[in-house]
Amino acid sequence: MADDAANLLPHEQPAPPRLDLFIAIFCLVFGTAAAALAYRMPTYANQGGEIYTAPGLVPGLYGAVLVLLGGWLGVRAIRQGALSPREAPAARPSDQVDRRLALAAGLCLVFVVGLLGRLPFWLAAAIFVATFTIIFEWQAGLGWRRRLRRALEAVLLGLATGITVTLVFERLFYVRLP
Amino acid sequence: MFDSLGQLGAAFVGFMNPHTLFNVIWATFLGIVIGALPGLTATMGVALLTTLTFSMPHNEAIMVLICIYVGAIYGGSRSAILLNIPGTPASAASTLDGYPLARQGLAGRAMGISTSGSWLGTLFGILCLALLTPVLSELALTFQSFEFFWISVFGVVVAGTLAGGDPLKGYIAGFLGLFIATIGQEPYYNYQRFAFGFTDLAGGIGLLPALVGAYGVAEVLQAMRGPAVKTISRTIDSIVPRIEDVLKYWRTIFRSGAIGVWIGILPGLGEDAAAWSSYAAARRASKEKEKFGRGSIEGLMAAETGEASSVPGAIIPVLTLALPGSAPSAVLMAAMMIHGLNPGPNLMIESPQFFYQIIAMLVIADMSKLIFGFVLVRPLIKILLVPRERLMPIVFVLCLVGAYAITSRVFDIYVMLVFGLIGFVMRELKFNMAPLILGLVLGDLLEKNLTRGLVLSSGSLLPFFTRPVCAVLSALTICSIIWSIPAVNASVRNLLRWTLAGRH
Repeated sequence: MADDAANLLPHEQPAPPRLDLFIAIFCLVFGTAAAALAYRMPTYANQGGEIYTAPGLVPGLYGAVLVLLGGWLGVRAIRQGALSPREAPAARPSDQVDRRLALAAGLCLVFVVGLLGRLPFWLAAAIFVATFTIIFEWQAGLGWRRRLRRALEAVLLGLATGITVTLVFERLFYVRLP
Repeated sequence: MFDSLGQLGAAFVGFMNPHTLFNVIWATFLGIVIGALPGLTATMGVALLTTLTFSMPHNEAIMVLICIYVGAIYGGSRSAILLNIPGTPASAASTLDGYPLARQGLAGRAMGISTSGSWLGTLFGILCLALLTPVLSELALTFQSFEFFWISVFGVVVAGTLAGGDPLKGYIAGFLGLFIATIGQEPYYNYQRFAFGFTDLAGGIGLLPALVGAYGVAEVLQAMRGPAVKTISRTIDSIVPRIEDVLKYWRTIFRSGAIGVWIGILPGLGEDAAAWSSYAAARRASKEKEKFGRGSIEGLMAAETGEASSVPGAIIPVLTLALPGSAPSAVLMAAMMIHGLNPGPNLMIESPQFFYQIIAMLVIADMSKLIFGFVLVRPLIKILLVPRERLMPIVFVLCLVGAYAITSRVFDIYVMLVFGLIGFVMRELKFNMAPLILGLVLGDLLEKNLTRGLVLSSGSLLPFFTRPVCAVLSALTICSIIWSIPAVNASVRNLLRWTLAGRH
């Protein structure tokens, strides 16, 4: 059998203690803010309302629990050496990975904020799919003939996606599109 | 007894028409493709198709969603065997023995084992669903607010403890989900909580856009981040399962089926936990331990049977308690609500025929999966070769349509984007998403039952701990939290070991 650590799913791999400490600080701040906002909510006691149905009771409780859990995580992280100067920094992904991620997120955002609602849906979807594919399939050192062919395929894929999604959702299943 | 069989027969007959069977065929096919493609999960598939089936009659819509669910959980094993990448998280355990088998030139045999194990697992799960649902439903009818409060808390805590990874982060994710569920108008005075003057936010966070974001958009970002996968095992031997494989490992099949159903019933754990637990149990009990991880037929059979049987298992608490057993079943539950069904203890009273229809749907989906398992070998290899650079933008377009279509609010698209980002960041920080989603689903149930219980008891907390079911659930919840403290866990294990050693 493979090593136990190798069998762990990505989310099961332990995070570095310093990262856990930052998460703990976030929980403490977020939980405190949530509890404070919940405390300021009206109780409707002056209108004969039960205190147990006050709007802030349950979110205030969750805020308090998040503070407790954040404290627990923080103490654990410190005991594991989060404040130790020798703690190794978390392994950073490569710049290429960061670029791919930023590019994908940026293109999705431009599609939602820039194209959607300004163009017909089929056209907006076609432009997005084609642009996304062309950019991610761009390879340095590729001949212009192959590059042109790939770009043409991407445009056709975009048009096919835009038209098919519009026809299937809007005409066949009567679903409204943005 | 005969009345039940008659109703079950009527449910099957009701689905035996060309229109429904056509839906079964395309939905199962689509489910297997979604499951097979790394980056697309069963949850995302069910969430997207909820939108597509919005205008269908409820029977057909739920049938399509169940076919997608069953198909996607099975489809994940194809990429696990051929690419060494689980198509869905549920198939992660299948890579351990599936891929080594493929490398030995036995990819066909591995797919045959996966098909037979998955088919038998789902059948076993359906049998358990048919037997357990009426009993649990009857028990759930005696529950009051106090019990439902603890069921919700227990769900979030157990999902945090057992869903994998760090339990403490599981609890944080669960309570974050519960907190997000409080955003918007509250149930008693329509007070707008945490809306900060935004009318859209006052309407609350829609479950479906949040799910599409957390599972769809986050997966798109995750997939585009990594380098493309190029290797695939193309040598395929016979895919027809060998009867001796099934007969030889019948104990493993039953054990894994039972584990899968049990983990399916536990709130929020889902198919991946079922597959890993079945795999671990099979290894412990096996006479061929050394083969595990090197191409063990028994290991692959255990993982596949466990994950497949947890699908009907996860539907049991949806039908009886309105409590989803897994993330895809949470979406299925939301779809049932959208279609006017009322999952929970009253379902068996209000629409008993729906219970029999669910059984029929699962059996039909399972049979359809079996047929596609034999037919879809080479076409699936071709689909697996589609580069993610071309697939992911299409998935994003579908996510966007899925988030928007239910209520036609542009705000839901922004909710999807925000949850996509939250999902991505949380995975990077080693959080499991299942407790967050379960918190979001159970938030309303928890709040209403906590406040109702407090009003009924005039603020006394005693009934929350003294009623028999509450006492058991509260004890289990507290034990679950204490068990997740490493020092306590180690002490209890040492004590047990010492006691057992003393006895011998």
